[in-house]
Amino acid sequence: MNSYSPSEEDFKFVTVLDKGDQLTRPSLSYWQDAWLRLKKNTRAIISLYIIIGLALFTLVGPYLWRTDPALQDLNQISQTPSFPKKAVVVGPYKRWAGIVLNDFPAEPEEYLDFIPAPKNLKVVDAATTQQVRLSWDPVVGAGGYNIYRNQREPESINDLGLPLGSTLGGNEVSYEDRLNLESRQYYYSLVSTDGLDESDAYISIEVTPQLTIELATAKSRGLVDESSNEINVEISLEFHPMGTDYLGRDMLARLMQGARVSLFIGIFAPFLYVLFGIFYGGSAGYFGGKLDAFLMRFADFVVALPFLLFIILFKIGFGIGPGESGVLPMLIALVLLGWPATARLVRGQVLQIREEGYIEAAKLLGAKNHYLITRHIIPNAMGVILVTLTFAVPADIFTEALLSFIGMGVAPPTPSWGSMCNEGVKTMLSHPHELIFPALFISITVLAFNLLGDGLTEALDSRMRSRE
Amino acid sequence: MKAFSFILLSLLFSHASFSAVDATSVNFDNQTITIALTQEPPQLNSMKATDQVSGFVLPHVMEGLVRYDRRGRIVPAVAESWEMNEKNVTFHLRKNALWSDGRSVTAHDFVYAWQHALAPKTASEYAFILYPLKNGEAANKGELDIGQIAVKAIDDYTLKIELERPLAYFIKLAAFATYFPIREDFAEAKGDQYAADVDDLLYNGPFILTEWVHSASLKMVKNQNYWDKDKIHLNEIHASYITADTRARLNLFIDGKIVHTRLDGETYKDALTQRFRIRKFSTGSVFFLDYNHREERATANLNLRKAIQHVFDANELVNKVLGTPGNLPAYSTFPVWLQGIKGKFRQEYPATIPELDITKAKNYLELAKKELGVERIPPLILLVGDSPTAAKQAEYMQGLLKEKLGLDLKIDIQTFKQRLAKMTAGEFDIVAAGWGPDFDDVMTFGDLFASWNLNNRGRFNNAEYDRHVRIAMGSTDPKVRMDAMGRLQEILYEEAAILPQYEQGVIYLMNPKLKGVVRRVVGADPDYTYARVVE
Repeated sequence: MNSYSPSEEDFKFVTVLDKGDQLTRPSLSYWQDAWLRLKKNTRAIISLYIIIGLALFTLVGPYLWRTDPALQDLNQISQTPSFPKKAVVVGPYKRWAGIVLNDFPAEPEEYLDFIPAPKNLKVVDAATTQQVRLSWDPVVGAGGYNIYRNQREPESINDLGLPLGSTLGGNEVSYEDRLNLESRQYYYSLVSTDGLDESDAYISIEVTPQLTIELATAKSRGLVDESSNEINVEISLEFHPMGTDYLGRDMLARLMQGARVSLFIGIFAPFLYVLFGIFYGGSAGYFGGKLDAFLMRFADFVVALPFLLFIILFKIGFGIGPGESGVLPMLIALVLLGWPATARLVRGQVLQIREEGYIEAAKLLGAKNHYLITRHIIPNAMGVILVTLTFAVPADIFTEALLSFIGMGVAPPTPSWGSMCNEGVKTMLSHPHELIFPALFISITVLAFNLLGDGLTEALDSRMRSRE
Repeated sequence: MKAFSFILLSLLFSHASFSAVDATSVNFDNQTITIALTQEPPQLNSMKATDQVSGFVLPHVMEGLVRYDRRGRIVPAVAESWEMNEKNVTFHLRKNALWSDGRSVTAHDFVYAWQHALAPKTASEYAFILYPLKNGEAANKGELDIGQIAVKAIDDYTLKIELERPLAYFIKLAAFATYFPIREDFAEAKGDQYAADVDDLLYNGPFILTEWVHSASLKMVKNQNYWDKDKIHLNEIHASYITADTRARLNLFIDGKIVHTRLDGETYKDALTQRFRIRKFSTGSVFFLDYNHREERATANLNLRKAIQHVFDANELVNKVLGTPGNLPAYSTFPVWLQGIKGKFRQEYPATIPELDITKAKNYLELAKKELGVERIPPLILLVGDSPTAAKQAEYMQGLLKEKLGLDLKIDIQTFKQRLAKMTAGEFDIVAAGWGPDFDDVMTFGDLFASWNLNNRGRFNNAEYDRHVRIAMGSTDPKVRMDAMGRLQEILYEEAAILPQYEQGVIYLMNPKLKGVVRRVVGADPDYTYARVVE
C-alpha cells in the first residue's frame, strides 16, 4: 500500500502559467469618464481654452498692459488699431491775435453784385495738428469771409466741405483752425461774403498738418524725460493696439477692465443662485409633500416677477445715488430672481433619484437624510447642475451687457462690455471698431460658454457612460 | 440699341433728378418753397406760444409794432415811428397796416392783446416779458385789474405806454411774439377756438395761413393786404412735412423735397459725401457749468472753483470733444454776438481768458481743502442731460478733473424735466446748463445770475453783482449800462461763479437757389420773409 504523505511542496502556491483571456480596463470614476468624453468634443475643448484665455485676459492682462483705461489721450481720438505713430514735440499753444488790417474797411462801402474770391490764401507758421493758421489778401467789397475745410479736393462751390468759421469784417484776413486736426490731407477753401450772402467764387489750398504733441502733454504721459526741454524732436506716441475710443481712451485697457465687470457678474451671480437653487430644489424634491407644493408655488411666484423693475427698485432701495455703480443691485437682483430655474431642475432630478433602488438600500441600512443627500443625491444630480451653471453664465453676461447698454449698470468712467457697445453704437458708421471689439468679446464669451455647456451636457449624461 | 437705351435712360434720370429739385422744394416761376417743420405748432395764439415752431410760424403770419430786418436791426413795422422818454413810450401806428380781412390794425388791438396776455386766467408762460409795462406784473399776479396796466390807445393810431422803470431795450421787446396785436371782436367771437385753425386767426404779417392739416402740413400764402408786400417775394411757403428726425429730413433734402435741414454729428458726414454746401450758424446760446453755491456744498468754496477754472480749456472741449464745426469756445456768460455801446460788447469789454496753469490750480485746491477742513474733496455730482453729447462732455470733465486735480466726479444723467427739477431743488454740485436769449440785449444774459432770478439755479449770491444789475436796469444810458455789464463779466470771472464752455453753433443745409433767408438768434429762425427763389 502506497500511502501518500503530503510534503511541503504541496502547500506552496502553484504558478499559474496561463492567465487565459481576460479583458480589463482601468476602472473609471464618473468624472474621469466624463472628462474623457469631453476631450473628444473638439468644440467644447476649444471653448474651454477660450474661457481660460478670457480668464487670463481679465486677471493677468491688466498687469501686462498697464495703460490706464480712464486716461484720455486727446491727441489720438477714435484711432483705429494701428502701430504707434510718430509725432513732433512742440511747445505750448500760443494764442494768435490774427491779422486785422487797420487801413481796410470792415464793412464794404458799397455792396457789389459779385465779390471776387480772395487771393493769396496761404498758411502762416507751420501747419501742425495743434493749429493751422491761414491768411489771405483782403477783397474790395467783402464784409467778411467764410472758411471751409474738406478732405478731398473741392469740385465746385457746393463741395467745399465743413464750414469751419467766418470772420466778421472785410479787414479780418486770417483764420486759425484747431478743429479735430489729424495728420492727413485737407483742402481749405475761402469764400468772401458781403456780411450776409456768400459770393460764388472761392479759392482753395491743400494743407497736410504735421502730427505734433505738446511738450507738457508728452511729459505727463511719460513719453519724454521729465527734465527734457527739447522741442522739435520726433517721438513715438502711445501705442493703442486696439485703437482708442471717442475720448482717446485705450480700447485694450478698457476691454480688460470691462471684462472684470462682465465676468464678475456673469460668473458670480449664477454661482450664487445655482447654489441656492440646489438647496431649495433639493429640499423640495427630497421632502416632498406639502413642503414641496409650497416651495414650488413660491418659485412660480418668483418667476413671474419682472426683472427690470426689480433692478430699478433695488437701485433705489440700496440708496445707489446718481453716478454710482449699479453692479451690486444688479448682482442681487440676478441672484434673487434667477434661482427658480435651477431649483425646478434640481427638484425634478431629486424626485427621480429618490425612487432609485440604491437609495432604498441605503435607507434600509439606516442611512440618515444628511448622508443620503450628500452621498447619493447631490453627486448624482451634479451633471444637471453643472450644465445649468454653464448655460446660466452666458445668459447673465448677456444680461449685464444689456443692462449696461441701457445705462442701468456701471457708472462712467468704469467700462463694461455692454456700456462700451452703447458708446460705440453712436459712432458705428464713422468708427466701427469702437462697437465691433466689445461686441466681439461678448459674442465670443457667450458662444464659448454655450458650446462648453453643450459639451458638458453630453459628457455628463450618465446614459452615455461607458459608450464610445 | 444698347447704347441708345443707355443714353435714353441717363437722360431720363438726369431729367428726373433735375425736375425733383426744381419742382418740389423751390419753384422759381411761382416763387414757392417747401419746408419741413420739426413738430406741429401746438396752437398759434401769440399770447400763449412758448415753443420753437410757433416762434417760427407766428412772425411769418403776424407782425408787432416793430420787427427785425435782414441784418437783425429793429425797424418800424405796424408802428411808423415812436418816441421814448424815460418811462413813457408813444408809438404812432401806420394807417396802411391791415388785418387779413381788410380792417385796419389799431392801437386798441395791442391794448387788448397785452392786457389779455397778462390776465391771470390766460396763464401765459411768457407773461413776464410784458412785466416792464407799469402794473403789468401786479395784474398778472391778480393784485390789480388788467384795466390798470399802463397801456392806452389815445386814438386808433396812437399807443401810449408807461413803463415800470426806464428800460433801454423796451423797443426790442416789442418785436417779441407776445407783443403781437389781437383784434378784440374777432378773438371774443372765437373764444376758446381762437388760433386753433386757419379760420380762427386773423393775420397782419407778410403771410397768411391758408391750410392747416393737423399733424400733417401747413401752407402759408403771401398776404395781399400786407403794408410792405412789395418787399415780399415768396408767394407760397408749403410746410408739407412734419418730422424732427434729422436722418429723415436729410433724405427729404437729398430728394429735393425741402429747402432746409439741420445737421447733427452723424448726418453731416452724409451731407459731405453728397457734396452739399454746408452752412453754419450761431444759435446765440451759451453753454456753461453752473456751480451750486448753496452753503453746504463743496462748490460754494471759491478756491475749489478757481482750481477747476485753471485746468479747464474751452478750446480743447470745442475742438476735440464736441468736434463739430460752428461752436465757439466760451470765456464769458456774454456771447460774442451781443451789441455793446457802438460795436460788439465783447470787443468793447474783452473777457479775461483763464490761463491754464496746473501748479496754480493745485495751490487753489490745497487752499480749498484747508478751508473745507478735509483731506480729500468728496466726490462732486455733475448733473447733465441725457443726450449723447452731454454724456460725452460729462465724461471728458470727469477724466480731466481726475487726471489734473485728482477730483472725483459722479455723473448724474437725467431727462430734461427731471434735470430741471433737480436744478431747482439744488440737488447737484455742478450742472451743465445753457441759456438762450429772449431778446437782443445784454440784459437777457446779465440778470441771469442776479440773486432774485429764478433761473439762477446755483443760487449765486453776490451783492456787488446784484448792485450792478440794478444799475444797468435803472439806466437807459448805453455807457452806464455797458460799464455795469462789463463789471458783471469781471465778477463772474473773479468769483469763478460759472465755468463757460461753449457758444453753440449748428450746421445746416439750405437750397442754394433760395436767397435771402435770415438765420436769427432772436425771433423767427429761419426767417423766410425776405427770401426769394433765384433761377
